[in-house]
Amino acid sequence: MKKYIYFSLVLVTQFLVSCTDVIDVDVPTADPRLVIEASLDWEMGTLGNNQSIKLSTTSAYFDNNSNDAVTNAVVSVMRLSDNMVFSFTNNNDGTYTTANFEADLNETYQLEVLYENEVYTATETLLATTPIKEVTQSEEGGILPDAIEVNVFFDDPGDEMNFYVLRFKTEGDPYPELRDVSDEFLNGNEISIFYEKRGDDEADELQPGDVVDINLFNVSERYYKFIQLLNSQLGSGNPFAPTPVELRGNCVNTTNADNYAYGYFRVTQTDKRSVTLIEMD
Amino acid sequence: MKLKLSACLMLFSLLVFSQENYTISGTVKDDANGELVFGASVFLENTSVGGITNAYGFYSLTAPKGTYNIMVSYLGYTTIKQEVVLDANQSLVFELKEDTTSLDEVVITAEESEKANIRDPQMGVSLIKSATIKQIPAVLGEVDVVKSIQMLPGVTNNGEGSNGFNVRGGAVDQNLVLLDEAIIFNESHLFGFFSVFNADVIKDVKLYKGNIPANYGGRVSSVLDIRQKDGNSKDFELNGGIGLISSRLSAEGPLFKSKGSFILAGRSSYAHLFLKLADQDNTAYFYDFNAKGSYEINQNNRLYLSGYFGRDVLNFDDAFANSYGNTTFNLRWNHVFNDKLFSNLSFIYGDYNYQIEIGFIGLDWTSSIKNMNAKYDFKYYLSNKTTIDFGASAIHYNFNPGDVKPIDEDSSINEFILDKKRALEAGLYANVEHKLSDKLNVQAGLRFSMFNRLGGQPIATYTNDQPVVYNADLGIYEEGTKTGDVDYDKSESIANFSNFEPRLGLAYQLSENSSVKLGYSRVAQYLHLLSNTANATPLDVWTPSGSFIDPQMANQYSAGYFKELVDGKFSIETEVYYKTVDNRIDYIDGSNLIANNNIETQILQGESRAYGLEFLFRKNKGKFTGWLAYTLSKSEQKTPGGNAGGPGINKGDWYNTPFDRTHDISLTGSYKLTDKWSFSGNFIFQTGRPVTYPVGQYEYEGLSIAVYDQRNANRLPSYNRLDLAATFKPNRKPDARWKGEWVFSIYNAYNRKNAASISFGQNLETGVNEATRTAIFGIVPSVTYNFKF
Repeated sequence: MKKYIYFSLVLVTQFLVSCTDVIDVDVPTADPRLVIEASLDWEMGTLGNNQSIKLSTTSAYFDNNSNDAVTNAVVSVMRLSDNMVFSFTNNNDGTYTTANFEADLNETYQLEVLYENEVYTATETLLATTPIKEVTQSEEGGILPDAIEVNVFFDDPGDEMNFYVLRFKTEGDPYPELRDVSDEFLNGNEISIFYEKRGDDEADELQPGDVVDINLFNVSERYYKFIQLLNSQLGSGNPFAPTPVELRGNCVNTTNADNYAYGYFRVTQTDKRSVTLIEMD
Repeated sequence: MKLKLSACLMLFSLLVFSQENYTISGTVKDDANGELVFGASVFLENTSVGGITNAYGFYSLTAPKGTYNIMVSYLGYTTIKQEVVLDANQSLVFELKEDTTSLDEVVITAEESEKANIRDPQMGVSLIKSATIKQIPAVLGEVDVVKSIQMLPGVTNNGEGSNGFNVRGGAVDQNLVLLDEAIIFNESHLFGFFSVFNADVIKDVKLYKGNIPANYGGRVSSVLDIRQKDGNSKDFELNGGIGLISSRLSAEGPLFKSKGSFILAGRSSYAHLFLKLADQDNTAYFYDFNAKGSYEINQNNRLYLSGYFGRDVLNFDDAFANSYGNTTFNLRWNHVFNDKLFSNLSFIYGDYNYQIEIGFIGLDWTSSIKNMNAKYDFKYYLSNKTTIDFGASAIHYNFNPGDVKPIDEDSSINEFILDKKRALEAGLYANVEHKLSDKLNVQAGLRFSMFNRLGGQPIATYTNDQPVVYNADLGIYEEGTKTGDVDYDKSESIANFSNFEPRLGLAYQLSENSSVKLGYSRVAQYLHLLSNTANATPLDVWTPSGSFIDPQMANQYSAGYFKELVDGKFSIETEVYYKTVDNRIDYIDGSNLIANNNIETQILQGESRAYGLEFLFRKNKGKFTGWLAYTLSKSEQKTPGGNAGGPGINKGDWYNTPFDRTHDISLTGSYKLTDKWSFSGNFIFQTGRPVTYPVGQYEYEGLSIAVYDQRNANRLPSYNRLDLAATFKPNRKPDARWKGEWVFSIYNAYNRKNAASISFGQNLETGVNEATRTAIFGIVPSVTYNFKF
């Protein structure tokens, strides 16, 4: 919510500024680090037994082609209540998968990655997710008055602090959009979040026929802050953005603390919807 | 303390009177409009007795009985020479006539008069007259105070579209900006495109960059003291200008049979005009009003009432609406107790507030800072060797960090009121300026400041008294664990601070036209602007010191060499400085400052330091006037973990502040070709602003995530720009009252795309990482018609 206030300022400069252009910039490259993308998502209505973890290393900022997949690690997840270990199979393409994961609400899980003789661990608790009540399509809402937006509605429980992450992905787009939502000003209310696409012209906006995949996750406060910082630094460098800083996740290198990893180990339930946009009157 | 001081004064007075000395006192005015002249020099010829007029045009000289020639001079005006027989105390009013003997439009920028400049122990100060500001080419033809001071050494800002200015590597919130003594919390219109000061009503602008005199306090980097005109007390006058982007009109004239005067001025930009998407339902404009009246009750009593009201309004398709502005009032009473004791009593009210409405999330937000300020300042002319300034001030602040409300019934926002904060800031000061010998002048001051954070709000408590805790496993700073709240009653005090702030200046005259100076100042700042963005925004929240936030403390050491060449035609000013600031607020990674009642969980306090060399070469007289300013400097900060543990922000290493500029060159000049045509130009070159570039990338959730490391380790490309302007005054009948002029200007003449920022992100279509430069202004030609009636 609060980011909208900064976002509004960015909007103002976009209206006022006369030009933006893509330029070549020399940027430094730091030594590579391990990146752990361990998102154990239990989609409502499924068993949640199929899970995948992705390992890679960082590369130069403008390097689009390097093969940075990590194929020589050993990955497992343990359920702490009964020390049940789920081993992940190395697919030799940077992904590690299992078909035997047992997802249980409120259980705490611990990730262990063995990579180049160093052990990385992280723990997270599986939270129940608020179901999506309704998804609608409209034009008059959002920021742009005539652009199509998708609205997602869900009820926030009033008796606790809740944190949400929403993921919107238009099929065919190169990357998704994540939203971080806290109920700080919205506690106990029906929350509605809109997804709208903006670009240089109308062709960049959502179009009838587009298919939009939506995921709603209830997440821990720490993960919410992680996504909040991640989001605020996407396209960073605008005059009203905070100074970008290192984004640290929850994975700890227990062998050599200074050689920490990026990424996050999350275990969540998720409600998923898919909508096909229609022509509006 | 005040009592002792008065006792001392009385004792000194007795000593002085026993020597059969007499005093001449009075005011110096501009003959054309009756405006009091600040900084005119009043000397007795062939003696060392002399001084300069204060901000209210007052002077006082004391000399042994005798006959003297009194010389009253101010650059650009004809010097008055008048014989006085000093056999009794007397009062004299001088009216200076503008120098018409030479046709050159002489405009000085030298501080005070030439002699005073060399002798004055005050360093790091620049005085700019309104006429000079008007000569500097401005973007879109709108003359601008804040842009003109950036042509001086040691003053920069973050480029187009950024609020405020930075002095000697300091932050925007470390400048005390005063308009007729009222504190201005935001000096920018439209996010820094214009400043809130209408050049038509400004008499002069004084900027203290270091060695801040003891009568000022509360900000550690600089004081920008802007005085409004009192209004023409002789004739009615209209001034105005019609530009492409804004227009202004002012009226001034005598009141009460020339016993008083008034000035009223208004200014407004046109809506829509400089919006890129003019076809949409968007507006962005500002307006402001200035008003001032003065009344001379008698020779010893004068009253002034002045006010300012300004507003910015932005509205984008009802999705986002924002309005903000300052309101100030000031009532002043000048009283001359006797020919040696001048006083001014001021009551000042100020209000800075803003509203935001974000339609698409149904949020309405209002916030404000109100302050009431009472000041009583005295100037005592003890002898021809010694003057003493002393006084007291008290400011009461009311901070409303924010009321968040739903816009309408459909909004899912819950009402949320942030804790209101109250504080009282008081100061007592004395400053002695003394001629130790013919060559050595000293200025020694002491300010005692007090700050009381008043109750009337709850204050959170934390486990181990740690609002911020270092998480060693994850290598991040996190909010501490809140254990409860302590409720403070309005009659209670939450925290108290007090500080002695010594100020010292020494000037040693090497020759008739050169001197060396040394300066030291210690200044406390009790208010902090919370801003973790590269540019300060109008929405940034000010917060007072209190249980968790200590006041900023600055120590500045400076030394300078001053020289005048060819009878004051040229001058050279060189200064070096070293400045440290303790308790500078820094922000933990991912800090969340908006609508946060517990700001202490997002910040740590560290230190900053800045040092540099400033060089200023000026040509003050002739058809061509102007200056070259060069600054070589460094500004950095460091924030250790302290009570929160861990290495600190940015791993506890020193890093560049966003205001660090290694090189800064400004060249400005104006040339009077004929009576009809004059030309002016500016050239600016600056090292690029420190920024943080990514040092790598990885994929997460299908997004390309940039890796960042050390803060502000990289730089934007250097900033450089050339502006040109030509002024055309058409033929006019000698007696015509209507005087018009056309000002043609080109901002950024060679159309350089100076990067205001470079952002890193993924291409919308391909997803490939790219760097996007944002440049605010390309070449901007403009024309303005100014008139005077």
